[in-house]
Amino acid sequence: MIRKPILTSKEDQNFQEALKLYDQKQYKKSLKLVDQNLKKHSHAESLTLKGCINYQLGNKSECESYILKGIEKDKDNYMVNHLAGIYYRSIENYTESAKWLKAAVDNGSPNKQILRDLSILQSQIRDFKNLTTSRQQYLDFQPGYRANWTGAAIAFHLNKNYNSAYSTLTKIETIIKDHLQESDMYEQSECCLYKNDILFDAGNISKALEDLEKDQSYIKDKLAYLSYKAKYLMILGNSKEASVIYRKLIQRNPDDIDNYKNLEICLGTSDWEVEKRAKLYEKLARFYPKADVPKFLPLVFIPSTNKLFKSKVSEYILSQLKRGVPATFVNIKPVLKNAKKLKIVEEIVEEFYGSIGQYDPTVKLWTMYFISQLNYFKAKSDSKFLEESMKWIDLAIEHSPTLVELYLFKSRILKTQGKVVEASEFIDQGRQMDLQDRFVNSKTVKYYLRANNIDKAMELISLFTKLDKDAINGCKDLHTMQVNWFLTESAEAYSRLYHQYQEELNSLPEDTDEEIVNDLKEKVDINKGLAIKRFLAVVKIFGIFVNDQFDFHSYCLRRGTPRHYVQTIKWEDEVHSTPIFVRVIKGLSKICFEIYDEQKVKKEEEPIKIKKNNKKQKKAKAQFLKQKEDLIKKVESEKDDSDPLGTKVLNDLVNNSNGDIIDNLLNLTSTLINEAKDYKITWELSFKLNLIKCKYILCLQALKNLKDKIDEDELKQLIQTLSDQVSADETTNNAIKMVVEKGLASAFPDL
Amino acid sequence: MGIKIRQADIHDIQAIQNANLHNLPENYLLKYYMYHELSWPQASFVATTYDESSLDEEINEDLKFEDPKGDTAYIRKGEKIVGYVLAKMEDDPEAEDKTPHGHITSLSVMRTYRRMGLADRLMKQALYALCESFDAKYVSLHVRKSNRAALHLYKDTLKFEVSSIEKSYYQDGEDAYAMRKDLVLEELQPHLIDGDQEVDDFEKDLLEDL
Ligand SMILES: CC(C)(COP(=O)(O)OP(=O)(O)OC[C@H]1O[C@@H](n2cnc3c(N)ncnc32)[C@H](O)[C@@H]1OP(=O)(O)O)[C@@H](O)C(=O)NCCC(=O)NCCS
Repeated sequence: MIRKPILTSKEDQNFQEALKLYDQKQYKKSLKLVDQNLKKHSHAESLTLKGCINYQLGNKSECESYILKGIEKDKDNYMVNHLAGIYYRSIENYTESAKWLKAAVDNGSPNKQILRDLSILQSQIRDFKNLTTSRQQYLDFQPGYRANWTGAAIAFHLNKNYNSAYSTLTKIETIIKDHLQESDMYEQSECCLYKNDILFDAGNISKALEDLEKDQSYIKDKLAYLSYKAKYLMILGNSKEASVIYRKLIQRNPDDIDNYKNLEICLGTSDWEVEKRAKLYEKLARFYPKADVPKFLPLVFIPSTNKLFKSKVSEYILSQLKRGVPATFVNIKPVLKNAKKLKIVEEIVEEFYGSIGQYDPTVKLWTMYFISQLNYFKAKSDSKFLEESMKWIDLAIEHSPTLVELYLFKSRILKTQGKVVEASEFIDQGRQMDLQDRFVNSKTVKYYLRANNIDKAMELISLFTKLDKDAINGCKDLHTMQVNWFLTESAEAYSRLYHQYQEELNSLPEDTDEEIVNDLKEKVDINKGLAIKRFLAVVKIFGIFVNDQFDFHSYCLRRGTPRHYVQTIKWEDEVHSTPIFVRVIKGLSKICFEIYDEQKVKKEEEPIKIKKNNKKQKKAKAQFLKQKEDLIKKVESEKDDSDPLGTKVLNDLVNNSNGDIIDNLLNLTSTLINEAKDYKITWELSFKLNLIKCKYILCLQALKNLKDKIDEDELKQLIQTLSDQVSADETTNNAIKMVVEKGLASAFPDL
Repeated sequence: MGIKIRQADIHDIQAIQNANLHNLPENYLLKYYMYHELSWPQASFVATTYDESSLDEEINEDLKFEDPKGDTAYIRKGEKIVGYVLAKMEDDPEAEDKTPHGHITSLSVMRTYRRMGLADRLMKQALYALCESFDAKYVSLHVRKSNRAALHLYKDTLKFEVSSIEKSYYQDGEDAYAMRKDLVLEELQPHLIDGDQEVDDFEKDLLEDL
């Protein structure tokens, strides 16, 4: 893998031998030779190689020091550079790795394979500028593979150098045209479409359309072909032709509402009178009788005041209820945001229920279910309807006591009523009627977590997880398999528990037995630790998601999926805006702020005197340790978990062991600031944290981002808080104060 | 019904993973979903909710800004994944049959959205795409012997045939039916499968006789 430099001395000979052994994974033998070299001189290459060998031998604490020594000795030596690059890649420090691999190339390494590795790293760290060079150089070295052309084109594209991207793709297409095999045709199709994407991004729509037609025979993805074409025609103002393409798209997939919306844009029917517009959908419904959209969409655009609405919605709902479709309510729900429409639907169903006797008993059942759901929906604006909802679901259950759906729904009502324990027990009854279905199991687990019954939740979810060797439940598997919903819900359950214990602790009378106090304190700490630990487990899983793309930087070039690769890159760039991640940071920051507040109080307090242990306490302690061991078995998140209860994480935060807690939180929040700019919580956090840090300009930036996300009153208050603190702050220099005050005045002139 | 069927893209994979974890015991790491998306991007489909209340002029919601729900099913505001089909081409170099053919890795629908035809629609789109974009000559899958709902869907609705029984195929020891269906593009067109309704004639003006 690694090429030799020119031999000069005995040391170099030894080194070459060692390098060979290293490549053959004979690390111990290799080390021997290297050590021989190092006994006499501090030979730069040998030093660096020793760092790499130590890494492979698992001697992790003595790697980087050798790498650094090697670099210090001879930083322009391409062999040293290359080895350093390899080392940093193994420890996933991609930035540093790219830096040294690039140095190896710049310092004249004859080993061209470095370019490939380098370009993967540059893609990972988004160094697109230098990526172009390495991809181009590698292409010059091996122009015989299409993947290398695609790779260069992607690099140009990511740099918005559309011309070069386009011409690179065109060039290889011409070269390869007459040599295409059957097995190349998928790649050919994708590359044609990719070329089209580039033209589109460059804003050259008419050329894109022209190419699309020219390449039509190559394109196997007809859905993409039609979608691209329709989009281009629409932009170019040829809406008549575009409308025909949208009809073709509807024919391919009558269940995608976007096609209908686009069709109407092309036809200009959106502002037609309602009756005529409804006729269009009647016609489409004749073409696609099984599709839902042509029946459903008119219910959205026909106003409640129009007679047509009642007849259409009646037909829509009753035909389903008469067939006994359980999901009838789910189907109509989106229409009911309109309160007037809700009223009409309610009347229709009430009337129908009046004549229910003539139908099959299941029709009655699903209608009762429908009415219960409808009342639950109404309860969103007025909770008195919950009781009504409950009444109807009870009737339904009385009618058919073995239907799981009814149990799922009743427990949902119970949960909304705040009866979380009852809800979990009731849904569990439903679960027991269908032990095979994981969905009911999952929901039951969720309800137990909401009721803070983590043990039971774990026991039940473990019925469907893999049991690792020596494990007593599925906890480790849930971490391995990235079950973010469960980890987040359990973190929140632990959070609630520690608050509960904390409250108990705070409300104890002064003279309470010390044992009870200590026991509660321990419970607070354990649950707090586990809450943080589970939240951080999700953060870690997102780290894995970011790393997951690594292999695809080269895979996609070979596979011939550049379009989807580019999408993936963009998705990865914002992966931390996924709603669940934001929820996790929110939960985590709440705990951190609490710890921070405690830190402030503690500083002022006297240090607590520790009382001596008496015998009784020791015995209790032994018992407690046993309990703790059992607990650890249940909650370990990986094999040989070094911090199973999150004790260390918690203590580190409390004692600022890994830096100030607010800095840590700022660090976590920075991913939101970069990737989740559209969230309110992002900027609320940023404001709060930077205010603590007296970083007023960043507070100002946060406020600007909050402007259209929160109420005016809230905003006013935050502005006041900031300007009060700024003017009271005597350590901040006046220039900054001025900037903030001026900034506030110009960003919020009316407040 | 406020649900659409569309091709899956990379933004969907976390929520697909979530649906899979909720519905089935056979689970995969996110990277495996990435692998599907970046190897056979045309093959997988999702069913998602959508919010079209903007088309209802009577609704003028007070536009209070709210963050999306922190729920693993949501990919963005108002859009959650309630069903998916994850499909691929057979790519095992050791596979006996070298005829290009597809495979259904996983299919599931959240329980509250079942029995309204979503699985059927998802499957039809996936089979069409496998055939059209990847020239799959047939498609295969595995199903638990005891899975009545899925068996009905594959056998009766989609006309798969049992090709063999694989003993103890699943982790818990249950047997699987290996099933397959030959794919012929003309027969798979989603709008034609359902019978002989009127067909949209693209030569004609759609608005002509309204
Ligand atoms: C199997 C599953 C995907 C079906 O989804 P679905 O959206 O409810 O299915 P559809 O509504 O499209 O129904 C398709 C057909 O199956 C029938 N069907 C659905 N559920 C059924 C059930 N529980 N029992 C009997 N038949 C059933 C439907 O009646 C319909 O038949 P039809 O065409 O004769 O009318 C869904 O039940 C599920 O997710 N189950 C858990 C996960 C799973 O088992 N996946 C399959 C693994 S191989």
